[in-house]
Amino acid sequence: MVTLDVDYFRDLETPRLARLAPNLVAAAFPLMKLMPARYILDRAASNGELKAGSHIVETTSGTFGMAVALLAAARDYRLTLVTASTLVDAKYKARLERIGATVIALDDPRGDGNQPGRLERLQEILANEPDGFWTRQYDSPCNWLAYARLAELLIRAMGRIDCLVGCVGTGGSLCGTASFLRTVFPHLTVFAVDTHRSILFGQPVGKRMLRGLGNSVLPKNVRHELVDEIHWVGAYPAYMTAHRLLREHGLFMGPTSGAAALVAQWVATTLPDAQVAVIMPDEGHRHAETVYNDNWLAALPGWPCKELPGPRTLTTVAPAAETQWTRFLWLRRSLDDVLKTQAAGEVPSAVGAPENL
Amino acid sequence: MAEAGNLMSRETMKSSVGTAAAIGHHGELIQGVFKDDGGRLHRGLVTLPIAGLRSEARFARSDADAVVVHPDQKVKASAAARLTLDLLNVTGGGELTLQSAIPVGHGYGSSTADVVASIRAVAAAVEVQLRPSSIGRLAVAAERASDAIAFDDHAVLFAQREGTVIENFGGSLPPLLLVGFKANGGVPVDTLQLPPARYDSVEIQEFGVLRALVARAVRLQDPYLLGRAASASAVISQRHLPKQGFGEIAEIARRAGACGVQVAHSGSLFGLIFDLFASNLKRRAALVAQQIRRAGFKDVEVHLVNAEGWTW
Repeated sequence: MVTLDVDYFRDLETPRLARLAPNLVAAAFPLMKLMPARYILDRAASNGELKAGSHIVETTSGTFGMAVALLAAARDYRLTLVTASTLVDAKYKARLERIGATVIALDDPRGDGNQPGRLERLQEILANEPDGFWTRQYDSPCNWLAYARLAELLIRAMGRIDCLVGCVGTGGSLCGTASFLRTVFPHLTVFAVDTHRSILFGQPVGKRMLRGLGNSVLPKNVRHELVDEIHWVGAYPAYMTAHRLLREHGLFMGPTSGAAALVAQWVATTLPDAQVAVIMPDEGHRHAETVYNDNWLAALPGWPCKELPGPRTLTTVAPAAETQWTRFLWLRRSLDDVLKTQAAGEVPSAVGAPENL
Repeated sequence: MAEAGNLMSRETMKSSVGTAAAIGHHGELIQGVFKDDGGRLHRGLVTLPIAGLRSEARFARSDADAVVVHPDQKVKASAAARLTLDLLNVTGGGELTLQSAIPVGHGYGSSTADVVASIRAVAAAVEVQLRPSSIGRLAVAAERASDAIAFDDHAVLFAQREGTVIENFGGSLPPLLLVGFKANGGVPVDTLQLPPARYDSVEIQEFGVLRALVARAVRLQDPYLLGRAASASAVISQRHLPKQGFGEIAEIARRAGACGVQVAHSGSLFGLIFDLFASNLKRRAALVAQQIRRAGFKDVEVHLVNAEGWTW
């Protein structure tokens, strides 16, 4: 049962605010997804969608799954997470199961996460479950609404904010934070961080090496019109930046946080008069055997690659190698607009830093 | 206790007279609903105090039971005096006289200023100094919904229907210049006839962001952030109690480089917020005042907030 006397690990959903440069503050989360998970469950409990002992379902094996699992355990809800065999390792699955979650791992022959198959399975469970509740992190407005709290924390720490940098997977954290910050700072420039072969910003779908970033389906919570610039970061530069965060700032973060930090440090250097905030969604523990393991790294073809001084600016959306970092001026357009412009072979007129800085 | 009997010597000073004042305001910088530490929502506001608008109260204690008030329509002030006497365990009544220069019905907080001045005058008559939080609670008890003027220029997020402080921002507002005027042809608003606004979840989440802006603005004395908060709250207020000409005023504010637009959330007042130390302020304020008059708004006035005797 939900009681207001327990804070449900509020501290665990609160980021440390680390200053990485004079004009750059990172919101380094232990487990960012607790913020939307708690808000979604609180709202559903208060409007009656979620009842005592309800069965919660979601199609994730990522950190949102862990966040919902923690809350479901503390509040006595049943939980089933539908994932893909390629996305969940045995240890993480065991961690989820230890706190009471049922984890279903489907086959993933294409290596793209098999989201359509996962959704189909989820619908089957819901159809047979009268007290079922789907958290819908991809499409629920509660996902992005929860991030008002991050906007508050950043404003209390930084005051005026000119640039926001963050990863996109469901779109909740970046679009939610951006939307609240832009209400009070209309000049805010938003830098979205994605990875090659994620479809979110118009690339063709394909196998992605960097887990937890990008998507093979398009969630409603990705609101393209909020985004000024899109950066696609490959796995290698993301790993290298994660290592650097640990070495130089004592921040032990996951590789998606590395991708965000890479872009944010470039923005902060390129625009020294701008106050820049960057969102780092999770810690490195889950990646201790891979991204933070020298043997695993040594087996990667071409590892280590050379450090990139900056992104390569694209004039048309296209995938690149996992060693690459590319950038495209999105200019607050819809996905349709960008794709149409591309099809017509046009290049956007504005080039260079966004004009409103 | 034996000492308690001696402290009751208040009873022997029934002829005492207390005088006190309270200031008015220019409506609210922000108003909405806000979470307390336990996540529960409360209606709350941050008042924009104007020291130049004052209500003065004089209370003369008497043996008679009744509290008699002049002018006699100020019944809330009279009720506040009675509640204060009760709180302080004082028997008898007294004569309460109010003198106020604050216009009624536009959102200047004339009623709360009377109430707060009365509470302070009664306390002074019995030689007790009340804390602002106690005065705030008494004011809400006397008039149902109040504002934060019991705290004078100290910035707090005040639950106007509960009389409690949701967040104490720990200081004064930064020095400001306010170009104030009336919307809707200067027609007064009857505050108590307004139903409480119903906010949607986007607005409720946004109020937390506005509260963060005010906290930062007070801590670092930053008028720009305060203006950003006020403008966003004014936009939300526009969805609940629309003011004519809002878009035009927002455009004038933008062109003039104002920090923001402020409104009385249950009144007809508009204000353009400027940093008191901005360059060329006198000329800019005069120009803005002229543009606002030309756009058809009434009673354009300049107010100084926390100006500490600053002169043009």
